[in-house]
Amino acid sequence: MINVIYVMLAIAVTIIFIAYLFHPKKGLIYRIQRVRQNIQRRFIEDALKHNYHCETQQLACTIQSLAGALSFNIDRTTKLISRLEELSLIKLNGKGLHLTSQGRRYALGIIRTHRLWELYLANETGIDEIEWHSIAEIEEHKLTEDEMDKIAEIMRYPRFDPHGAPIPTKTGEIPPKKTIPMTELNVGDYARIVSVEDEPKTIYAQITALGLCQGMEIHILEHTPQKIRFAAEGDESVLAPLIAANINVNLLQRKPHIRTSKYTLADLDPGKQGTVIGISTRIRGQQRRRLMDIGIIPGTLIASQIRSPGGDPTAYEIRGALIALRRKQARQIYIDPKKKTGDQR
Amino acid sequence: MNTSNNREIKNDKDSILELANSLRWDVGPNYYDELMESIYKDAAKIADNAISIADEKTGFDWDRFLDKLLTSRVSGFPIMLLILAIVLWITVAGANIPSGWLSTLFLDKLHPVLSDFAITIGMSWWLKGILIDGMYLAMAWVVSVMLPPMAIFFPLFTLLEDFGLLPRVAFNLDNLFKKAGAHGKQALSMSMGFGCNAAGIIATRIIDSPREKLIAIITNNFALCNGRWPTQILIATLFIGALVPPAIAGFISAMAVVFIALLGILLTFLSSWFLSKTILRGEVSTFSLELPPYRPPQILRTLYTSLIDRTIFVLWRAIVFAIPAGAVIWLLANIQVNEVSLAEHIIQGLDPFGVLIGLNGVILLAYIIAIPANEIVIPTILMLTVLSKTLTGFGEGAGVMFEFEDLSSYQTVFAAGGWTLLTAINLMLFSLMHNPCSTTLYTIYKESRSVRWTVVSALLPLLLGILMCLITAQVYLLFV
Amino acid sequence: MKSKNRKQCAECKKSSTDHLTRLGIHSGKYDFTVALAGNPNTGKSTVFNRLTGLHQHTGNWPGKTVTRAEGGFIYQEKRYKLIDLPGTYSLLSNTRDEEIARNYILFGQPDVTIIVVDSTRLERNLNLVLQILEITEKAVVCLNLVDEASRHQLKIDEKKLMRDLGVPVIPTSARNGDGIPKLLQGIHEVVHGIYPCKPHRIRIESEQLKNAIDTLVGKLDEIYPDLPNTRWVALRLIEGDQSIIQAIKNGTFKNLVFDQTKKEEVIVA
Repeated sequence: MINVIYVMLAIAVTIIFIAYLFHPKKGLIYRIQRVRQNIQRRFIEDALKHNYHCETQQLACTIQSLAGALSFNIDRTTKLISRLEELSLIKLNGKGLHLTSQGRRYALGIIRTHRLWELYLANETGIDEIEWHSIAEIEEHKLTEDEMDKIAEIMRYPRFDPHGAPIPTKTGEIPPKKTIPMTELNVGDYARIVSVEDEPKTIYAQITALGLCQGMEIHILEHTPQKIRFAAEGDESVLAPLIAANINVNLLQRKPHIRTSKYTLADLDPGKQGTVIGISTRIRGQQRRRLMDIGIIPGTLIASQIRSPGGDPTAYEIRGALIALRRKQARQIYIDPKKKTGDQR
Repeated sequence: MNTSNNREIKNDKDSILELANSLRWDVGPNYYDELMESIYKDAAKIADNAISIADEKTGFDWDRFLDKLLTSRVSGFPIMLLILAIVLWITVAGANIPSGWLSTLFLDKLHPVLSDFAITIGMSWWLKGILIDGMYLAMAWVVSVMLPPMAIFFPLFTLLEDFGLLPRVAFNLDNLFKKAGAHGKQALSMSMGFGCNAAGIIATRIIDSPREKLIAIITNNFALCNGRWPTQILIATLFIGALVPPAIAGFISAMAVVFIALLGILLTFLSSWFLSKTILRGEVSTFSLELPPYRPPQILRTLYTSLIDRTIFVLWRAIVFAIPAGAVIWLLANIQVNEVSLAEHIIQGLDPFGVLIGLNGVILLAYIIAIPANEIVIPTILMLTVLSKTLTGFGEGAGVMFEFEDLSSYQTVFAAGGWTLLTAINLMLFSLMHNPCSTTLYTIYKESRSVRWTVVSALLPLLLGILMCLITAQVYLLFV
Repeated sequence: MKSKNRKQCAECKKSSTDHLTRLGIHSGKYDFTVALAGNPNTGKSTVFNRLTGLHQHTGNWPGKTVTRAEGGFIYQEKRYKLIDLPGTYSLLSNTRDEEIARNYILFGQPDVTIIVVDSTRLERNLNLVLQILEITEKAVVCLNLVDEASRHQLKIDEKKLMRDLGVPVIPTSARNGDGIPKLLQGIHEVVHGIYPCKPHRIRIESEQLKNAIDTLVGKLDEIYPDLPNTRWVALRLIEGDQSIIQAIKNGTFKNLVFDQTKKEEVIVA
């Protein structure tokens, strides 16, 4: 009797295994095939993206630059280019590579996928900022247009990615670039960061490490050929022009409302109170909306009330309600502390 | 409307949408902040206009006083533990009496009456078996053991909730839960889980952060629920208490049970931490916890609604699952293949694996078929042991669950089943760490709306339990 | 349930609770539909239970009511259907609850929306009130938990509030049944047009947003001259709200405007 049960078990396991191998959509064999197709697709798409970026930055796109971007040798690059020409995605014009209108549409589609996916990661998942770009780099080649439309719908057809770059529409519309690189600002200028280029990766990592992101208001303090010194959200930072060129800004005509301070809510001990100046731009998506919904907007008077016996969180009186916030959140809320203690409201 | 008019409207529609589309580029990504600020500025102005504060500091501020008391470093934790202990004690002690009444009524009185009636009307033995010894008995058992503790625990809990104490508990414990990657409110769903895991999982609704809610759902099973306390107490008394002199036997066995409950809490934290670092790493995590003002609870309304919303709701789900399971239990014990019952075949098949992890085939089968409620695991084990060891003089026939009044009969049956100290220890561990009951699983599915998370919630404790039992068994065999 | 609130209602003899018949869950024809909105944990469910005689659970936890509940009552010989919307802090986010609430108020076109407000946190609750007043003109603010507010030494001048908001404001303590007759009276006055609602409109400060909305409102007014809440529609279009875009595509707005009488046919998203 034992044997019968074990034999049945063995048969069941075998059947499941075979099903796993040959399943038409999820099977191992199908997946291996897809990966191979994907690699092909990936090279084509990366080449188009490179071409498109050259176009927007008004740089010449050549076989050499493409080979560099894909880290291919010239031989392999030439092969890829002829394949692209076959598909009439690009035109070879002398030394320069040019996108056909069909190629441009394709490239915009990939950029749309990439930026949508980054926004999705930023708003709907807890994945760290530094990983968004590299995940999107992989996913952009895998997702179909239908899947992307669905995601766009869930996200309510958003217009800007988390770095502030515009997301092309389904029909390939994208507004003309109106921003200037940060390097063009002069001492004393106020500007708002509109977008941060997420490539090259090493530069992007340096920018995020400084906590700079889309939406921040900056004030240029010093500008020499060697360095740009500026204030952003209360902190002073210094960047080399080479790196600063990757930050696109809008020049502000007048001094913006100050939304930062060196004090944050985390500095308020129980019994003290302060007025909200602003929420750091680092908090975004659902988190930001939640904080605003509970009444944390500039001008709100907040009184720190009780601290948990564990030391964190702390309960604050915000517009009549007692709301506990963790230190991590409180540190992102800038306040103007008032010396007065005691009475609430 | 004529066609040309229609076309005009269609063009109008398109032009509006196009205009909206192009304007969306213009407003930029930060307009929501600006909009919210405008709304709040207006709200603040209107509110300031309308509100005036009467003379301050007239009278005693109860809210502030209670907050100081309940969240202070000195008194916060003791008060919380005391209240939880009192609630659990009232539940366990208070439930015994009505449970006794119900089981006398349903099992001792009504069951024979129904059996006799079935025989009188000439019902065939197998139909009577399925309907009365299987379905009715399982249902009656579940009702009599589940209803009283839930009917006491839930209203008490709801009263504390309405008063406003529970958010303070979450506030006190949040730091601890934060370290495990979870939300302070999980303290509530966990405490609720001590009453019933299904209710604990419903209670996770108050956690609005998706990741923390999933953690609370998946780990809720490690809170030792009402259905498992009696098993723990019985086995600890029989086996652990017997190891020490009779004078301290009661204390030691009680300590053993408390140890298992504490192990459950430890596992809650460890598995929460593990989940937040691995499979739930990418889920969104937000935090907000509001401490509402204290409000005097409305006792009668609370009793009524908690009875309807929680007790009857959970009980109903349990009954729905218990009825078919009762039929399955009876059928397994009574369908014979090669003159041996199906149950015995399966027990034999499961036995090698059972023994490997320090349990046995009977226990494993009991946990499989008694999935509707942990309360019927022990009766099922007794019935299956008597059946597979062909003991005479115990129980009421194949497929009929039963329990003993005295401990010595338990000892006799377990001894006949080949139980050792290892079996007892591992049964206590396995009772803590195994898949949740079907009611809880169904509730998990309802709350998470995902087959995937339901499967994870079932497999995580089960695999952990098997692993733990395997290790204990191998270590035990080294020394014995 | 007993009506033990006659004492508190000296000046409103005519409209005491005796005119109220609670219907519980009752299907059938209704003369008016009433939506019940409010922040979580403001006693919204208690108001609902008071009016309908049902027993929805209320807990001292934010966000307790998860499912949408419906009930009915008769007041002064008119049958009212009451729809309890999910408790939310705002109507602008993309969460399911907020979507249900805002779409119901816009497309469901209730005859009146009761906004339950926690008097002890008026400022924060007004956020939702102002947003609802952008969508609908016909609203009654139920200033609940006034007993708690006075316990906290808070005095709220409902007359000033009424003037600023432009809709009836009725102080209540739903838990004790205080103010419910007046609330009913307020509902009655709004649905019959006795009280002329002139709701407050949010002053948008951002120039960019204001310009964008104004441009769009101009266009919307041209096409839907009878639509009362073009500003809200414009705002939602800028947000990219799919239900509004769909409504424009299917011409739902046309129907909303012209077929005010055939309300049953309006599909609620």
